Amino acid sequence: MKNYDLITPEGTKDLLFGECIIRRNIEDTLRGIFSSRGYSEMITPGLEFFDVFNLNSRYFPQENLYKLTDSKGRLLVMRPDSTMPIARVVATRLRDAILPLKLFYNQTVYRTEPALKGRSDEIVQAGIELIGSQLKMADLDVISTAIDSLKAFGMEFSLEIGHIGVFKELVGKLEVSDSDKERIRKLIESKNFPALNDLLDSFGSNSVIAALKKLPALFGGMEVFDKAEELIPDENVKHILDELRELYCDMTELCGSDTNITVDLGLVNKTDYYTGVIIKGYLQGHGEEVLSGGRYDKLISEFGYDIPAVGFAVNVNAIQKVIEKNGLFPAMPKIDAIVYAEKGCEVAAVRAANELREQGLVVENALFDDIETVREYAKEKKIAKVVVVDGSSREEE
Amino acid sequence: MDKPIRIALTKGRLEKDTVGLFEKLGFDCTAVREKGRKLILPIPDGNLEVVLAKANDVITYVEHGVCDMGVVGKDTIMEMKGKFFELVDLGFGRCKFALATKKGYDFYRGYGVKTIATKYPNVARSFFEKKGMDTEIIKIEGSVELAPLLELADGIVDIVETGTTLKENGLEVIEDVAPISARLIVNTVSLKMRQAEIEGLIEKIQANL
Repeated sequence: MKNYDLITPEGTKDLLFGECIIRRNIEDTLRGIFSSRGYSEMITPGLEFFDVFNLNSRYFPQENLYKLTDSKGRLLVMRPDSTMPIARVVATRLRDAILPLKLFYNQTVYRTEPALKGRSDEIVQAGIELIGSQLKMADLDVISTAIDSLKAFGMEFSLEIGHIGVFKELVGKLEVSDSDKERIRKLIESKNFPALNDLLDSFGSNSVIAALKKLPALFGGMEVFDKAEELIPDENVKHILDELRELYCDMTELCGSDTNITVDLGLVNKTDYYTGVIIKGYLQGHGEEVLSGGRYDKLISEFGYDIPAVGFAVNVNAIQKVIEKNGLFPAMPKIDAIVYAEKGCEVAAVRAANELREQGLVVENALFDDIETVREYAKEKKIAKVVVVDGSSREEE
Repeated sequence: MDKPIRIALTKGRLEKDTVGLFEKLGFDCTAVREKGRKLILPIPDGNLEVVLAKANDVITYVEHGVCDMGVVGKDTIMEMKGKFFELVDLGFGRCKFALATKKGYDFYRGYGVKTIATKYPNVARSFFEKKGMDTEIIKIEGSVELAPLLELADGIVDIVETGTTLKENGLEVIEDVAPISARLIVNTVSLKMRQAEIEGLIEKIQANL
């Protein structure tokens, strides 16, 4: 039998030293932003019952979940997402809590990705959920937190908003089967104009079909709203567009003119439980979104508590990748001193080291038998000071 | 000037057709035509950089965003899948996926599970899945036509252009699976970050198809 005792599973990796510092810096930065806005941290289990993710709407296809069984043979999964477990907690233990609830998390999610594609199966996500408010101010609270989260890393970023309602309104007016609706959604998501046109043409021609054909092209700046209004003369859609336009203007004001903000009315991803506004964030130099979120007013009701919510998650691994790619490695904390104990003086040496630590220094205990090796080691590791504890005397060099 | 838009081309015929298209747009493609063994080549007046890659790799590079755009056949897209925008049907590189058997073989007869040989297992699987048919799929790397002749498989799912190879080996197409042509794909982030440039290029391309 082949042994796999020297490698890590596909899609995972060990992080060492500087990599950990970057990881923790990102996490601390985001945690600071979230808690300064009154969000409180939650930690949910890494293992959940499969049923939590197997709701009617099946946002996570079962082939992408890591599964195992508990001692009673019940099916468990490694958490593929944090929002659904949080929805579960809100619908149960937090059912009587004062609203709105402002929650944040910073934890790993697991999804199986196709092998040999350079993707991670284990991703750290940091995000917020604002639960129990349908006000525009709630959307803005979340979006401005998203802006600050991306700004914090000092790299060029771009934000995008959309609204699933435009697609839902339009496709709701089409008299076609659910599987055809799903095909339309897929083609809009991939902006596959040729195939979308062919499929829609087979359903005839009217103003709804004409609008659906144009939907994936409705992305860009402010001009998108006018184009969309002209193209889709519908009261409900107009209402949605007005709401979105307002948000767009607010974001432009919050970000300043040097940040690229776009609208895409063709954002219609499958795994989204979103019911309203959708937000995505991109960093220059990363091929996928690094932030994604939106309004999900129906998700928690699937757990039996009908309450609106809005939130987003940041892909911490992606941010780390961009930081490393840009060569922005942090300085490793340096060691100020190493304390060497002569035979019999070990306790005194431990005490001496502690005294130095109290002064704020980073101090190692020497783990060699002779002072010569300690000096060589200190030179190699660029430790400025070697302290020798010998009987009652203490000698510094 | 901004850094050039990187476009990955599938080496071979699609590459030649795309370069032909670029020349029609008025770009100077001398560097690509006289490439020698170089793999990354500039088209300075279009602010473009051409990357030459195998079909599957075009998708990989575009998905990761190390290339902004790519030209790749629908056959590869159907087999590989992936997350990107499939914006334009370029119209060249036309052919089709088809199901072929030995001439006169009654493929759908009987209830036994059929064996299919193919270079495109995902395409074959989803084709028969839609029919609700269980099939055994065997991946073949070289000339798939051999499999039914050697009686390893009942049929093949493969790319058919003229059908000459099939005919010369006593095989025939019994059903079309899907039409194929070259597609222009774009990374999902690049389209948003560099919208004006990419849309400008696409407009020019569409006007010259």
